[in-house]
Amino acid sequence: MLNIEQRAAPLPAVRRRRIPDQTRLALLFIAPALIVVAGVYLYPAFLTLRFSVADVDIVSFSADKYVGLEHYRKIVSEPTMRSVALRTIYFGGLTALLTVVLGFPIALLLNRKFVGRGLLRVVVLLPWAVPPVVSGVLWGQIYAAEYGFLNGLIRTFGGAGRTIWLGDATRALHALIVAEVWRALPLATLFLLAGLQTLPDSAYEAAEIDGAGVLQRFRDITLPLMMPVALPVLIFQFVWAVKAFDVIYVLTRGGPGNGTTTLNYLVYQQAFEQLEFGPAAATAYSLTILTVLILGVLGFLRWRIAVRSGEVTA
Amino acid sequence: MTLSQRRRVERIVVYVGAIIVFLIMAFPLYGVILTSIQHESDIRSTNVRFFPRYVTLEHFREVLTPGHIVPIREAMKNSVIISILTAVVTVALALPATYALARLRMPGKRFILGALVSVYLFPTLLFVLPLYIQAVKRGLTDTFLGLLIPYVAFSLPFTIWILRSFLQALPIEVEEAAQLDGCNYLQLFVQIVLPMMRPGIVAGLLMVFVLAWVEFLTPLLFTSQLKLLPVSLGLYRSTYDIKIGQLAAAAVLTALPVVVLTAIFQRMITQVITAGANK
Repeated sequence: MLNIEQRAAPLPAVRRRRIPDQTRLALLFIAPALIVVAGVYLYPAFLTLRFSVADVDIVSFSADKYVGLEHYRKIVSEPTMRSVALRTIYFGGLTALLTVVLGFPIALLLNRKFVGRGLLRVVVLLPWAVPPVVSGVLWGQIYAAEYGFLNGLIRTFGGAGRTIWLGDATRALHALIVAEVWRALPLATLFLLAGLQTLPDSAYEAAEIDGAGVLQRFRDITLPLMMPVALPVLIFQFVWAVKAFDVIYVLTRGGPGNGTTTLNYLVYQQAFEQLEFGPAAATAYSLTILTVLILGVLGFLRWRIAVRSGEVTA
Repeated sequence: MTLSQRRRVERIVVYVGAIIVFLIMAFPLYGVILTSIQHESDIRSTNVRFFPRYVTLEHFREVLTPGHIVPIREAMKNSVIISILTAVVTVALALPATYALARLRMPGKRFILGALVSVYLFPTLLFVLPLYIQAVKRGLTDTFLGLLIPYVAFSLPFTIWILRSFLQALPIEVEEAAQLDGCNYLQLFVQIVLPMMRPGIVAGLLMVFVLAWVEFLTPLLFTSQLKLLPVSLGLYRSTYDIKIGQLAAAAVLTALPVVVLTAIFQRMITQVITAGANK
């Protein structure tokens, strides 16, 4: 197929003539996807914005009673809302952090050659495919008070094993975090593994010849080189975790009390349990704003790290 | 420590680590399978057992009986239909968009890609509120079309992003050569790029199938008569007088198709995701 004489053909003239063609085709190719995305994201996002400054009539769904920033004002001023917002950040932050901290050694492990690695890679990927509702059911089975596996395990090791894991707000929140981390680990591990595979072998070989131990190599080579990979994964996991819904719905329904209600779950409760679309819309936008703010901070951190490692100049 | 001693210690650490990871990642799935094959009285016993002493398929028989509160057969059929539809439509829309973004010259490519991916910053409910209203107004609740539109839109940016990275990782020389042979861009796309992207396409179809299968929030709101697996399971869990064995059996059946597909195509999915992560 590759022909030297044709390669030598006068390309510039051909290129210049083809640019409009190419762009026209590109626009044609991307248009359907953009139309779908605009119709299902952009237009609804605009409608929700209007809901958030109005009282929505639940029968006609019309949002003509303008109330200004009333719904947002309530979110900022009400103490319960503040605790829900803080809980959302805590839930998302801890889930993301644990996922990366646990995913990292798993990725390191999967990057080595050992008997059974293929099987382990399959097992590590599986939770990604488990429907969140099923995840809720199986963690429910683990956390069940009398006959749950967790209490059973504690009893096996001589403990009392009578803890009602989902009966107390703090415990229930952390139980949810564990369940979410389990389901988030596959993607995070794969992303980190992809990053590990790009690290230069030569650096490790040189370090080993110099007598650097495993821990030393990890600290001096792996960790600094992986920071630019780990931070985006952390950001991705955070965004993903604050949007958690299914597992909360199945395991705790936001309870006990409102101890596991995150902003996202609150949007659902406001809209579909209290039928208050206006406040729900405002809560949804508050969550978005919160996410973007935290992303801004993390992005700034990433930039600082890039500057310090000499990747870019300040 | 000599080098060989150090290697031996490293190997022990690797295998111990591998066993720990295996147990932690596999246990929740093992637990639900175990629950699904034990009698209800043993499941509810405070004497929790971690290994089965017998196998009973009674719970599976119960939930598969027509008229059971969890309509597994009907829901399974519907879930298969909507997941296949979503996968095919999404990938069909994503492929040309991917080609345009990865290979063609067009103004604002970075902006378009950024805008596509940034939709994931917004909580899904932010879009679902007005979509729900539209679905109710247009009589699209309880229809496949009413689910297909949001499903496709939800998985499209992710699919475009993954496929674009996959395409960018492919060598451009083949296309350049074909171009010199006189292919135009449309021919290049159909005759050269699509065949080369086959592994990416298969992985894309699979991943969207899984994403559609596990979707819960949208069908929870958009359906009541049209039964889908995760919703049926979620609603069964919140019913009074629940049979745990049957719940576990229904959960196993809900997860089974996607878990099996993922296990079979693990290598392909991993390859496509890691290609995406390196870009």
